[in-house]
Amino acid sequence: MTVPAIRVRHLWHRFGNVDVLRDVSFEVGQGEIFGFIGPNGAGKTTTIRIMTTLLDPMAGRVEIDGIDVAIDPDRVRKIIGYMPDHAGVYERITVREYLEFFADAYAVPTVGIVDAVIELTDLGNLQDRLVVALSKGMKQRLGLARILLHDPKVLILDEPASDLDPRARIEIRDLLLELRELGKTIFLSSHILTELSDVCTSIGILERGQLVVAGPIGEIAERLEAQRRAQAVGLAEGDVPPPPSQSFAPPVAAPLETPGPDPAAFAGAAPTGAYFPAQPADVMTTAGGADIPLAARKRLKLRVLGDSRGVVPLLAGGTGVLGVEPGPGGLLGVAYTGDDRFVADVVRHLVASGVGVVGVEAERNELERIFLEVTRGDLQ
Amino acid sequence: MSVQTGRDAIAMPPPSSRRIDRARVNISRLRNDPNPVWMRELKQAARLTRTPVILAVITGVIALLMCSVGGVASVATEPAKVGTALYHVFFSLAFAVVTWVAPAVAASTIASERSGRTWEALLLTGLSPATVARGKFLAALTYISLYIVMLVPVGSLPFLFGGVTATDVIAAFALLFLLGVLSVAFGLSISSQFASSAVAIVVTLLVAVPTSLLAYLAGGVGLSFAAHELWPQVSAGPPVWLPMAYSRADFGVEYLTFLVAAPLVCVAIPGWFLYEITLANMAGVSDDRSTRLRRWFAVSTPLLALSTLPPLAFDVGREWRTLVIGVTLMALFAVFSAFVFAGEPLGPSRRVRVHWERRGAGRVERFLGPGVMRAATLGSVLTLGAMALQGGAALLAIALRGGAADDATRVVAFTGYAMAFTLFVFGFAAWMRARSQSGGVPRVLLIGALFLAAAGPFLAMAIAGILSDGGDIALLIASPSPIYPFVLLDTIAGGDPETRQLALMAGAVAAAGWGFLGAGLLTGAATRTRRVVREHAASIAKVETMLAAEEAAADAPAAAPAEASSHE
Repeated sequence: MTVPAIRVRHLWHRFGNVDVLRDVSFEVGQGEIFGFIGPNGAGKTTTIRIMTTLLDPMAGRVEIDGIDVAIDPDRVRKIIGYMPDHAGVYERITVREYLEFFADAYAVPTVGIVDAVIELTDLGNLQDRLVVALSKGMKQRLGLARILLHDPKVLILDEPASDLDPRARIEIRDLLLELRELGKTIFLSSHILTELSDVCTSIGILERGQLVVAGPIGEIAERLEAQRRAQAVGLAEGDVPPPPSQSFAPPVAAPLETPGPDPAAFAGAAPTGAYFPAQPADVMTTAGGADIPLAARKRLKLRVLGDSRGVVPLLAGGTGVLGVEPGPGGLLGVAYTGDDRFVADVVRHLVASGVGVVGVEAERNELERIFLEVTRGDLQ
Repeated sequence: MSVQTGRDAIAMPPPSSRRIDRARVNISRLRNDPNPVWMRELKQAARLTRTPVILAVITGVIALLMCSVGGVASVATEPAKVGTALYHVFFSLAFAVVTWVAPAVAASTIASERSGRTWEALLLTGLSPATVARGKFLAALTYISLYIVMLVPVGSLPFLFGGVTATDVIAAFALLFLLGVLSVAFGLSISSQFASSAVAIVVTLLVAVPTSLLAYLAGGVGLSFAAHELWPQVSAGPPVWLPMAYSRADFGVEYLTFLVAAPLVCVAIPGWFLYEITLANMAGVSDDRSTRLRRWFAVSTPLLALSTLPPLAFDVGREWRTLVIGVTLMALFAVFSAFVFAGEPLGPSRRVRVHWERRGAGRVERFLGPGVMRAATLGSVLTLGAMALQGGAALLAIALRGGAADDATRVVAFTGYAMAFTLFVFGFAAWMRARSQSGGVPRVLLIGALFLAAAGPFLAMAIAGILSDGGDIALLIASPSPIYPFVLLDTIAGGDPETRQLALMAGAVAAAGWGFLGAGLLTGAATRTRRVVREHAASIAKVETMLAAEEAAADAPAAAPAEASSHE
């Protein structure tokens, strides 16, 4: 069995009388890009600081590549690269000198590694420039170069694109994808959801110190959709699964009264990795009786002239159509499976049927939708 | 290999237990693989334009001052005396520059990493705190060495007038460098404690300036009289007597004791302590921050006790006086150690325990490890043992020379009281630490308790209006104060037999009280610490069990089909 790159189990932490982390558990597989999302003060940076050995957990276990961060911080430091939010740099040295210093500090085996990292991060033109003269984006790039020097297996980046201009953001994103190609596991914390949705393979959403959801984006979307559907078909009150922000939360015990591990906190906790309740179905059945995996399900929003209810029979039961929901003001929600050609076919079909199509819109960014759905949005 | 210097990796010889081999490897490593932090700091410092300006200004000002003093003095005074005066003026100024500038420079080094938010990146490289501290130390020492080197031409001006020898100047510069080492170590230890460079510099200067002035007056002017008494060739009064004494004092046991061993001990013990404190401050809270400090204590305490014994050989007829100085020094050292140990954790962390298990740590290693009771036990045993040794040596010296019975009584009374009060100090620190969440509160309360114990009885007497009568009641009330043994010394010699008896009795009762209180506090601290550590260990064990059970439950579904298929 493959050891997860990052494994956080029942993590608790407290500052003063405030529990900043409450029974947080999640796993990040090898080679994944994991997006760690949460409002300010949710506990993201505390989690990251514990993962990077900079803070000792009060209770729970954090393992990086199978190594306990509380027991062997030195071994963990050798396999992680951590770029903190708003990290400082030594300013009165050049870019090359900066990287050479860290190469020595990491005790890299060969001198050529600095050149390789400079090339990878595209810092060649800047290597003789003083660090103080670099822009914010270039400093971020330099920070990324620094954490690549010792070829770590796991990269942990706290808000790597904050305060960057769009070009710098795109460059950082492309660099992350390139690093993933090189087999790195990347743990990424960010507020910018669209940015995460471009690169992340899985996510975890933290709110008020609790992990409200974790897993692959598509899988989470499917679970949410299944819940919505279960609610829509009118299940009895007691049968309806609770809202996501409650149902996905790991069981929470009373806050620890004193720092230190509280075994009672784990009573009834879900086994590691099982952070979702039992789901009603992994497939949905079309009118024709075919089973469609939820992962293949997409949504489309149409706006038509007149009453949209009249348009429903034109689409319902069609090839690839999984469901049609009329709405007010000519709005029409279409659940489907297929690619962009399906969208073009629907529009062509409606126009040919004499329906005035005035708008076609892909559903809201999936990550944004998940985030809004599972978080409460209270002040943290 | 050093990327910064461009040197390739050197072939390291196979590991050897011989010291000479290890020294050779270390020298080779120093040449080919210099401390990366030091290299980087030097590069940064080289680009700092203000450094040469400051160096030039300080050198210029001191040179002008020296020329002015020399010019004015040479009008009416013979050249040899002017040369000697200039020597003292120059090295007094250099002393101030080194003891003020060096700590301030060092104070910003580690703190600036924290305030500049580069500390975490540095920490995560895997560089050990010792490597970082050494790099920072070397960088600050290089900087202060530049000051010293720049001052060398100015320091040679007294040669123009005579009165000083080349040995005097070389010895003074060597001592200046040694002071620089100590000053940098001091600044670094303060720097390692703070997250802001500005705060670190202010705190450093607030401590360094009065300490250096005190050292200048006590160790310079004050000790020159003692040195003159021992070696009449050394002048009494001038502050920079030590470097001159090397060429003027007669070579012998006194020379080796006071001019070689004592300065080395005075630099080595505090220097080592500052180094260990720096490392402890830089380490994580779950790391073992105790063992190295405890080793320092275990070596320093006997060394300090032994260093107070040789004067017994010279101070014939006044052994009790030497003993009082020695035991007072040891008691102050004990209070300082108790203050340091009050920051100990209650017991070793899970990380420390696991590492002990892995390397099969023995009893001695574990005893020197984290834990307030371990610290208090070691502190009490060693300091009380050291005081007993001092007292025993003094009694032996008195007996061998047929000294007065009063002297022996003084030795016993003073040492006994000091030992009892020291036990109380360690007991109080341990007890307070056992009841607190951190080391700050016990330290503050320890200062408060010491102040109350010392001044409280006298305040009580002042309130009762009996401070000045010096009668029996005053003696009884004053006896719990740790200042009382000094009063007792006079009473033993000069008081009437009845008062003397009463004073001794009061002292014995007070000492017994402090001793029993100290032992009781230590016992209380031990009981509470044991309970907390036991509960902590039990809670960790429960968590371990639960996590293991959870893992087993998660593995079970995966294992079941595999087992079923194997049966098929």
